[in-house]
Amino acid sequence: MKETRLKILQYVSGIAIFIVAGFHILYSHFLKEDVTEWNSIADRAADNWWLAFYVLLLIFGLYHGLHGLRTIILEYFSISNSTVKVLDYVFIIAGLAILGYGTYIPVEAL
Amino acid sequence: MQDLNFKVQRYNPDKDNSPHMQEFTVPFKKGMSVLDGLLYIKENLDNTLAFRSSCRMGICGSCGMLINNLPRLACHTPVEELETYKIEVKSLPNYPIIKDLVPKIDVLFEKHKSVKPYLIREDNENLERPETELYQSVEQLDSFMQFSYCIKCGLCMSACPTVATDRLFLGPQPLAQGYRYCADSRDEAGKERFEIVDTPHGIWLCHMAGACSEACPKGLDPAFAIQLFKRMLVSQSLGIRKQPKSAPAIQPPKTSKPKIAVPELTVK
Repeated sequence: MKETRLKILQYVSGIAIFIVAGFHILYSHFLKEDVTEWNSIADRAADNWWLAFYVLLLIFGLYHGLHGLRTIILEYFSISNSTVKVLDYVFIIAGLAILGYGTYIPVEAL
Repeated sequence: MQDLNFKVQRYNPDKDNSPHMQEFTVPFKKGMSVLDGLLYIKENLDNTLAFRSSCRMGICGSCGMLINNLPRLACHTPVEELETYKIEVKSLPNYPIIKDLVPKIDVLFEKHKSVKPYLIREDNENLERPETELYQSVEQLDSFMQFSYCIKCGLCMSACPTVATDRLFLGPQPLAQGYRYCADSRDEAGKERFEIVDTPHGIWLCHMAGACSEACPKGLDPAFAIQLFKRMLVSQSLGIRKQPKSAPAIQPPKTSKPKIAVPELTVK
């Protein structure tokens, strides 16, 4: 049931992105008036809760994007099942690397 | 009445590098089908034209072709329905061409076979040499009945945009047939088929374009079957699927005397 589980996660991450990114847009563009000011961004960057919030968005976005890209590659290149395994490892490593880098930058800036 | 202009795809792999179109003029007759036009061409204009046909009544599924850019059965397509005197006939897309309008549809049967389209039970002995009947309610029968009418013409596979891009994708016909047997209460191999369709080139590559259901000459809805199959897989994966009760074996009804007396044969 591997593909079904991956697909369920795809749907869940899609809904999660809608909620998390929706809250980000709602908060920064409608609830806060000084959205483009340096202080507004610096305040959020210094807050652990906001950091966790954006890392969560990064996780959901990464999974959703990479799984979507995997589906496109599967369909357009008709790759064999053994090559799919190699592709999966490439995506896992790339995803973890991007997640690590994307998390390291704001943590370092705290 | 105006004559029909048939533009027919010709391709002989021994001579041609690629398919080309050839035009024929066919006299129009009221009620004629596209297959009638092709038979006229073969009998009167060019006997080298190759196409498949058999029953001429939309049952055998042999005469599938691309008619005016839609996959259809030639025998089941009245010329009047096309509302034009220009008729373009090509071999079914998504299949290699053997000659002219004859596609090589082996891949359809291979994929169909791969989903194990037959009843599988633990008590297989009873299927081989039945001594009892497997009880099935009307509702249970209704849950898969329409998908049993598939004639394996392969039109759905040629209409499917995913089959066009991914040659390894199972496709609508095998997936719908996989569902048909998983939904059958007499079958006990649901999990076995789940493993077959739950692969990288399996059920989840279906984009729900619905082209298969549009193309089906028997009015089936393979796209709907695939959606129902996906629901089965998701509920199974989440552990919320109600495990269906297998159809119980019951004794066949005893033979009884007919209420109306059957007259004896007069010829002996």
